[in-house]
Amino acid sequence: MNSRLEALISSAKQSWASEQASGRVRINVTLDTSSQAKGAGQVIEKLHAAVAAKKLVADVGITGSWGFCWMEPCVTVRTAAGTQTVLYANVTPERVDELIEKVAAGHDMPELALGVVEGNPTADIPLLSDHPFMQGQVRRLMANLGITDPENIDHYLAHGGYEGFGKALEMDAEAIVKEILDSGLGGRAGGGFPAGRKWDFLRTATASPRYLVCNADEGDPGAWVNRVLMEGDPHLIVEGMLIAALAGHADAGYIYIRYEYPLAFARLKKAVEQAYAKGLLGKDILGSGKDFEIVVFLGAGSYVCGEETGLINSIDSYRGMPRIKPPFPAQAGLWNKPTNVNNVESYANAPMIMRNGAHWWSSVSDAKEKGTKMFTFSGSVNWAGCVEIPFGPTIGEVIDRWCGGMRPGLELKGFQPGGPLSGIATANRDLTLTLDPYRELGMFLGGGGIVFFDQHTCTVDLCSYFLGFCEDESCGRCTTCHGGTQRAVEILRRIQAGGGRDVDFENFQKLVSTLVWSNCFHGQFAMTTVKTAVKAFEDEWREHIFDKRCRAGVCQGLIDYRVRSAGDPALTEAAELCPTGAIVPDGSGYTIDDPRCIRCGACKEVAPNAIEVVDRFAVRVAEGAAAGG
Amino acid sequence: MTAEPGVQELRELVAEFEPGRGHVMPALHKVQDTYGYITRTAIEVVARQLNTTPALVYGTVSFYSDFRTHPPAETEVAWCCGPACRVMGGDRIREALQQELELPLNGQTPDHRIGLHIGQCNGTCSEAPQVWVNGEVVGDLTVAKAIRLARELKAGE
Repeated sequence: MNSRLEALISSAKQSWASEQASGRVRINVTLDTSSQAKGAGQVIEKLHAAVAAKKLVADVGITGSWGFCWMEPCVTVRTAAGTQTVLYANVTPERVDELIEKVAAGHDMPELALGVVEGNPTADIPLLSDHPFMQGQVRRLMANLGITDPENIDHYLAHGGYEGFGKALEMDAEAIVKEILDSGLGGRAGGGFPAGRKWDFLRTATASPRYLVCNADEGDPGAWVNRVLMEGDPHLIVEGMLIAALAGHADAGYIYIRYEYPLAFARLKKAVEQAYAKGLLGKDILGSGKDFEIVVFLGAGSYVCGEETGLINSIDSYRGMPRIKPPFPAQAGLWNKPTNVNNVESYANAPMIMRNGAHWWSSVSDAKEKGTKMFTFSGSVNWAGCVEIPFGPTIGEVIDRWCGGMRPGLELKGFQPGGPLSGIATANRDLTLTLDPYRELGMFLGGGGIVFFDQHTCTVDLCSYFLGFCEDESCGRCTTCHGGTQRAVEILRRIQAGGGRDVDFENFQKLVSTLVWSNCFHGQFAMTTVKTAVKAFEDEWREHIFDKRCRAGVCQGLIDYRVRSAGDPALTEAAELCPTGAIVPDGSGYTIDDPRCIRCGACKEVAPNAIEVVDRFAVRVAEGAAAGG
Repeated sequence: MTAEPGVQELRELVAEFEPGRGHVMPALHKVQDTYGYITRTAIEVVARQLNTTPALVYGTVSFYSDFRTHPPAETEVAWCCGPACRVMGGDRIREALQQELELPLNGQTPDHRIGLHIGQCNGTCSEAPQVWVNGEVVGDLTVAKAIRLARELKAGE
């Protein structure tokens, strides 16, 4: 291996070892956007204060996310002797003092403990690897998350970091491409196109300079896998791009991060600065004679910039409007030069493949899709977290294992397999997390953000939301897209308001067949949710259109809020709360003044027994009985 | 709110940026980070600095939802429009907030104290449904909690 890299690694390993053998207690807080939302910043401040107050000989540090996003802030405590590390969850600022008191007295705190990370389990605290959420996970990309400080390049170097790059430095470009091709690494944003082939396009391109682009514009709402990775182990992406640069003879790389991820932007900026400082980026990298620059670029809020040519335009021509292809980015991308665009996860896998070989990387499962994939799960399930698993488990397994089941009282009605363009799937627990089954259903498994929904969600309303999103985010180039999504939203809202017509199914069909002629994915797939939902939930859609009924009780034009028991004392609070003053006194009790009601449901939350949601148009057979009850 | 920045001040602010190197967005970010929004003069100055036209720069500003051409309100409430929030009743929270604050989405009160705008999902979905008040997450909302929050903001608490 390159001698300068070897020196970097060995000095990093030494500093890690001396940190580990410091004889001081080590307290690490996961600091990412999810934990910040729960006050992790405050937890760190309070930890410093508590450690000082107790005169505890301890260091307080930070790590990336363990994936237990629903139980943040997570904190690990490593004993002074280094014999045991315990992971605690839900360590809110209020609980810090108690935790430190226990730690200072040499005890653990089983009520907050998730598991033992290092060392032996205790009577009250099992091994973390035995936690149901951890079982079945194969953590490669996430190996350092929860362990290392994402803002410290030495921590990364001490854990095998830049070793893959070191190997690649000794190979020629063709051999690197072959290794990536052999691994079977496919694009990680849903397309699954072989990364090795893309790299080969760049390698064999004739023009120069050549560019790499890392698409970190994770715009699919409900997906945050790239965020977890960028905030938790940013050097993986830098190293992955360095390897791709060697393979494709690239001169510079851009990491395009969405505006909603300020922490990921800051972490990657820092990682890039550190890599420059160590001679891993810039001119004559580690004396190898190779040059490579990386620019970390911040977006400004635009979903279509996740489309590769939209992203390229956003960097070099200001408005992020996707280009007309061909030419493809491999021929004419950034500044019309050959450009390779990959997703965050695609680049991040390259160091693993180079370090451990294509065979090791791809042999993790029997699935056609090789390697591991990160997923985030959210919606009507108990746990909203981030996992790394091989492709292949069924949706049922996913819900039971990594989502802690459905929330109490909720039944699975369906799920969104990945982004607003991906479609809406039914509650088929046997569908596997692989690419093919969704393709067969006319959908696709996207970047890894899966959102589950339950019987209280209406698929017409969900489509209205997704199409509204697509309309908002349409760049405006193609009339099929900006006009088509607008028309779709109008129809959907009309149906929700009780104006559904039998021609609407035909209208949708026309829109589906028209929008596919749009230039980019955004327009081509904008109707996927409607197309798939109408088919999968046909009864519900027919009910909306013909019976003017929303079985989930969501569509505002099809429901009424009514007072069921006018004398319920909770109605006083409901009346006070109602933002439109629609709950008005009526004799000794209250009634709802329907024209004022905006159907926000606040009254039902505070007076669940006094207020009911009823069909606005359906025949109310039990009206007399209900009013009396 | 301080007075609008002058031409000279703006020129110095964006002096580091160069034409033809993808510097339009970074320059606009720098202006917005410094002053909270992008003024007409700033657009002209950036255009001159980068050897392009104000129309192209304005086109960029208007294309992206996070560039502002007016000062933000003192308290900006961002309503998360993501699917996890939606599944948990987020749209009813929007109805109630708009009604209670008497604001459309992307509007602000005449006294510029409170603004309401769409926030895009950032993956803190374990807090769904949620809003961000000046960037701080207020999660696990119900419609009732959102109404009380809006009332507190109006009362200036």
